[in-house]
Order: sequence, then structure tokens, then C-alpha cells
Amino acid sequence: MKTKAAILWGRNTPWSVEEIELDPPKAGEVLVKMVASGMCHSDEHLVTGDLAGATPEPPLIGGHEGAGIVLEVGPGVFSVEPGDHVVFGFIPACGRCPSCADGHSNLCDMGSLTATGMQISDGTARHHAQGKDIALGIGSLGTFAHHTVVHEASCIKIDKELPLDKACLLGCGVVTGWGSSVYAAQVQPGDTVAVVGVGGIGANAVQGAKLAGARVVAAIDPIEFKREKAMEFGATHTHASIDEALGALAETTWNRGFDKVIMTCGVGNGDVLGQAFWLGGKRSKIVVTNIHPTLEATISVPAVFLTVFEKQLIGSLFGSANPRKDIPKLLELYTQGQLDLDGLVTKTYPLEGINEGYADMNSGKNIRGVLVYEH
Amino acid sequence: MKCRAAVLRGVDQQWQIEELTVDPPKVGEVLVKWSVAGLCHSDEHFVTGDMVPDAALLEAMGQPPFFPVIAGHEGAGVVVEVGPGVTSVAVGDHVSASFVPSCGRCRYCSTGRQNLCDAGAGAMQHGMITDGTNRHWLNGEPVRLMAKLGTFAEYTCVAEASVIKVDADLPLSAVALVSCGVATGWGSATKRADVRPGDTVVVVGIGGIGMNAVQGAVAAGAKRVIAVDPVEFKREKAMEFGATHTFASMDEAFPAVTEMTYGQMADKVIMTPGVMYGDMMRLGTGLAGKGGTIVVTAVAPITQTESSVNLFELAMWNKEIKGTIFGSLNPRSDIPALLGLYREGQLKLDELITRTYTLDQINEGYEDMRQGKNIRGVIVYD
Repeated sequence: MKTKAAILWGRNTPWSVEEIELDPPKAGEVLVKMVASGMCHSDEHLVTGDLAGATPEPPLIGGHEGAGIVLEVGPGVFSVEPGDHVVFGFIPACGRCPSCADGHSNLCDMGSLTATGMQISDGTARHHAQGKDIALGIGSLGTFAHHTVVHEASCIKIDKELPLDKACLLGCGVVTGWGSSVYAAQVQPGDTVAVVGVGGIGANAVQGAKLAGARVVAAIDPIEFKREKAMEFGATHTHASIDEALGALAETTWNRGFDKVIMTCGVGNGDVLGQAFWLGGKRSKIVVTNIHPTLEATISVPAVFLTVFEKQLIGSLFGSANPRKDIPKLLELYTQGQLDLDGLVTKTYPLEGINEGYADMNSGKNIRGVLVYEH
Repeated sequence: MKCRAAVLRGVDQQWQIEELTVDPPKVGEVLVKWSVAGLCHSDEHFVTGDMVPDAALLEAMGQPPFFPVIAGHEGAGVVVEVGPGVTSVAVGDHVSASFVPSCGRCRYCSTGRQNLCDAGAGAMQHGMITDGTNRHWLNGEPVRLMAKLGTFAEYTCVAEASVIKVDADLPLSAVALVSCGVATGWGSATKRADVRPGDTVVVVGIGGIGMNAVQGAVAAGAKRVIAVDPVEFKREKAMEFGATHTFASMDEAFPAVTEMTYGQMADKVIMTPGVMYGDMMRLGTGLAGKGGTIVVTAVAPITQTESSVNLFELAMWNKEIKGTIFGSLNPRSDIPALLGLYREGQLKLDELITRTYTLDQINEGYEDMRQGKNIRGVIVYD
């Protein structure tokens, strides 16, 4: 079939919205009519090349935070059927590998098969444009398109009454941020938590920390609009910089240092991590959620405090969550008013507005911009 | 020195106000002037006999008769004298009682489980934690103190291990509540049940403990906090403390919890009735779903040994039943931490106090508790 998609033809070029040819789903695959897709910073990393080596080279279709309606399923697909509403987990959950079996499906072994941008099932392409196979940027999903074909392992069925233009955010940013606080950092009632960087991930780390009963949630971001939004999501304090937050430790942490520090900057940076390391107190957990450039090999952490203060440096992917359990669970919290999704969406754009949306993100105007498709 | 104290001289009797003689503190001891004492249900267990050991057993152990006893283990006061070797508090310091002492040296204190401090072993026996001798006398006869604290007296001499220094600007009524009921309820939810964001939690029995289990579950991000109590006033109060649903009985709650969780039932059930009877565990465990946790916090009659648990379901559904004392918290870190939450408006304490009484009104206070009028009554000393 023919449909429209945003293609990146080369690094540091604009997204090109054009017609593509989409093959029908093969065994284990699902054709989905997309309704909405979040514009996550990770896709911007495809443009800049920060994820070189871990993601396919252009040409590629971006987008990995999507929701839509199943149109057709290939042979052997049992968990969804035509008409079902689905959110894509940006990491597949096969349910069979050791990681899935141990309750860490965010680390599903199938995830490694997405690095080529080809289909998970057989390593070939279903997406073609201008006579070429087109890769899918992150997670073998390609949500910057009106239709896509993905693996069943990426599809999480949700209730039909839920708004897909909000539910799409559960495919990556919300679960990643919320889970960074709740699962990776294990925020407990009475904890003090610092969230460094308040975008589509950090805002949800703030929400997770708040719901888990943190006494203090200090949100750190240079942009005033984001600090204001952080307060709406439940932050108790905001600071424009890590330095400013360090100066307020007496007030925020009773001079003990934060129990949990969560790194959710747009791009990870070894020097910034080193600076943020000072925010943590004894036995603090410092969670690295943001993505550092794949070629960065050094971080400036004063390592002696790993030992003498037992500080713990913890990496977290997809909020250390299990998408099949956590996506429906967080949507339930949303319907009960315990998770704000509406407030996350600063602005919506049609597919054709994708470059404008990323320009807005880069100038700090958006917590999250969302593409909403008109078919 | 001499002061006034509420003394119980037998099961089913009234508290009597008598004159108590208190000796000065010896090594490792502190003389405390109590300002506030909570009327906790645990002290009522002496009146009903639920927590009174068999007389023949006491005799066989070489222990004197159980009565007379001065109860009261939830309290806050001011240090008026310290014995030699006391370093953690000084004269004039405000202190919280801690009904489980924390010696800081035993195996349990050393592994972050101060609530199980070995020094708590003789809590209901005569004599001081320090050297086993008596400091408290009624007409020349030694008297037993509840948890070696006896906060139903104006002054008592206690071990340094049983008091925790708190900031002097905090209202002592708040400190008194945190010293037992608040910490026990809060910790039952946050620590022992380990309520996590999105959990469904049932709290059975909404008094001075259960209400704080509700607060703890809410603070920990529970999706639903279902409070069960036969008294309408308590159900109403539970909603003010953050409960999302209330029911008058577990029988009533069972079908509703089944429906609202699509049959998955609760992740955590916390048992905080006034008295814990074994037959409550049939529905107590039934309300928990697969992989669910049932925390037993309430005090059961000391001689009761039977409990209605479906062991098939326990095994097949991977449920776990956990006991807890003091909400499994560490008094020396968690009492100040909870007071910090109170100071910042994140823990309701003032709202827990339904009514205050003088020491002379103690029987009236306990009658109000029995009739379900109080979340917590407290004695405020002059």
C-alpha cells in the first residue's frame, strides 16, 4: 500500500515528508494505522548522529513513540487483532528470552535486532521509497508515518476508550521518566529527589517521584518555562542549574545530599554527570536515563565517593519497566488522575509539521510535541 | 521524687490515680517529665487481659505477679535529669518515647532492624533495661512499667535506649503520636508491605494505627486505598486521610474489591484492627491477590494459636503473610524523619487527635476509644 512518512535522507538534514510503499505484514508482524506519535529527543539523536553505531544509517523513517489501530495481522499473531488499539513499546518484549523471563523485558534480547532498522522477524524491509529499502530509526517502528508495519512483540494492546494522542507517550517518554524514579531509583516515601533536565522524560521522573511519596522533588532546568511546568507536575523546588541546586542542599536535603538523582538531560554529558554526582548524599542512587553520545568514553565522576559514601551509579533503559505491565498500568493511573499526560503535550503538529516541531523542541518551547495524523 | 500515675491493679479494672515514687537515674538512664501520652489500644490489652501472661507462667519464670502496672508507651516529654554515661540527650532536651528501645549494639540494631532490638526482650518484665533493678515504687512496692516507659505517669526513669531526641520547636503532641501509632501504621504500609506506586491496598481497622497505614499507602502512591471499619466516623475520617474507598466490613469489601480489580484483588492487605483474631485472616488473606502481601500489625490475644488461613491458596497464589512491630521502622532515624514530614505538611498528625484528656480522665478516654469515638485520644499533662 501507499502511505506517507517522514524520511531522514542524510545526517543533519530536515525530515522529508513523502509517499512510501509499505509491504503487507509477514509472519509475526502487524500493520498499524498510526494515530499519533510523540517527538522524542532520541529521534533528534538520529539527525545529529549521537547514536551512530547503535541505530541504522539514513535513509530512515524516524519515530518510536507511537499509538494506532491494528489494520491487519500476519500469520501467527495472537495477541492483537484488527481493530485493536495499540501503543508501541519502543523496545520489543518477546516474553521468552532470559531478560523477559526475569521481569526485565526493557532489556529484551529482541531489542538488539532493531539496531539495523529492518524488521525484527526476518531482517528485511517493509518500507520502501524512491526505489530504496528504508530503515526504521529506533525500535524498528517508524512512527513518523501514517501507517507502519511492526513486530507483534512491539504492540501493547490498550483499552479503546483511551485517547491515542496521549497514550502514544507511554511508548517511551512517560514510562522512561516515571520508571526512572519508581523502578530504577526506587524512590521511597520521604526521599529527596533531584531531577536534572525537565523535558519529556524529566517531567515524568518528577511525576513518578512525587507519586512515590518523595518529600522533596527538585527539578533542575535552565529554561524558566520548564521549571514552571515542573512545579505543575509536582516538583517542590526548581533550580536553573546544578550549581544553584548544590547551593540549596541545606534547605532541600537538610544538608544530607539527595537520596536519588535522576539524569534526564536532552543529551548526556560526562562532565555534567560528574557535576550532578555531587548532588547525591550517602548511599544515594544516581540514575543515568539520558543518552550519552555513543562515542563518549569518559565521565568526570569523583569515583572515591562510590566507595566512601556508597553512592550508586545506575543506568536505566525504558525506566527499567516492563512495557506489557507498565503501559496499561500507567494508563490506568492517567484515567484515575494520578498521572498527568495532558499537561505533557505542549503542542500538536500534523506529519508535515515535523521540522517545525523539532525546531520548537530544540529551542526549549516544548515539554513534548506530538504529531497527530489526519487520514 | 514523687508524682502522680495511672495504675492498673487487675484485668477488667479501672485505672486508678496513685502516688508514684521515682528514684533518680543511674548509669545510662534518664528521668523524663512526660508532657503528652497517647491512649493506644495496646495499653487496653492489659485491661482486657489479651496481653497479660498467665499467672502460673509468671510464677514458674520466677517473675512477680503482673499487676500492678503503669501503662503508657506512646509519649513525649522533656529530660529533667541524666545519669552518668548518657550522651545522646541532655537536661532540657525534648524527647520521643520509643517503645522498642534501640541499643545500637545488638545484631538487629546493627543490621538496620532497630525495631527488633534485643533490649526489647524484657519489655513487660520488672526492672530497668540497664541493670534489671527497680526505680519505680507504689507504697514501697515495685511496679511494672509498660515497655519500661510508663508514660501514664508524670515522671518516669527510663533507659537512654528508650528515648530519642527531637527538635524542641515541634509540638509534643505530634511527637507523642509518632512515637508509636503513626510510625507503626506508616511503616506497616511503606516499609513492611512495601506499597509501590499503582498498588491496590486494603487497610482493615481504622484507628490510631490503621489511619497511618492509610496515610503511608497514599504517600507511597497507591492507586486505591481501601479502608475497612465498622464505625462510620472512622470511615469518613479515612477519606480525609486519603482513602479512595471505604467499607464497613471485609465481607462487604470482598465483592467490591473483586469487581474494581477485575478479580485480581489487592496487592497489599494491612491488618490493623483493635484486636487481631485468627478468624479475621480468612478474608484478610482472601482480599490479597496472586503474589499479594498480608501484613499483620495488630496485637492478637497472647494465648491464641489458631488462625484461618487457606494454605492451599497461600502456596498456589504465592501470597506472603508478614508480621511487623513498629512498622518495621528504625526509631532513631524514622521518628525524626516522620516529624520532618509533619513539619513540611506532608504528614497529618494534628488531625489524628480527636480529643485530649487530663490524667484524671484516663478512664473516660479509654471508654471513648472502646465506643469508636476517637481516632486517637491523648493525655496532656499540666
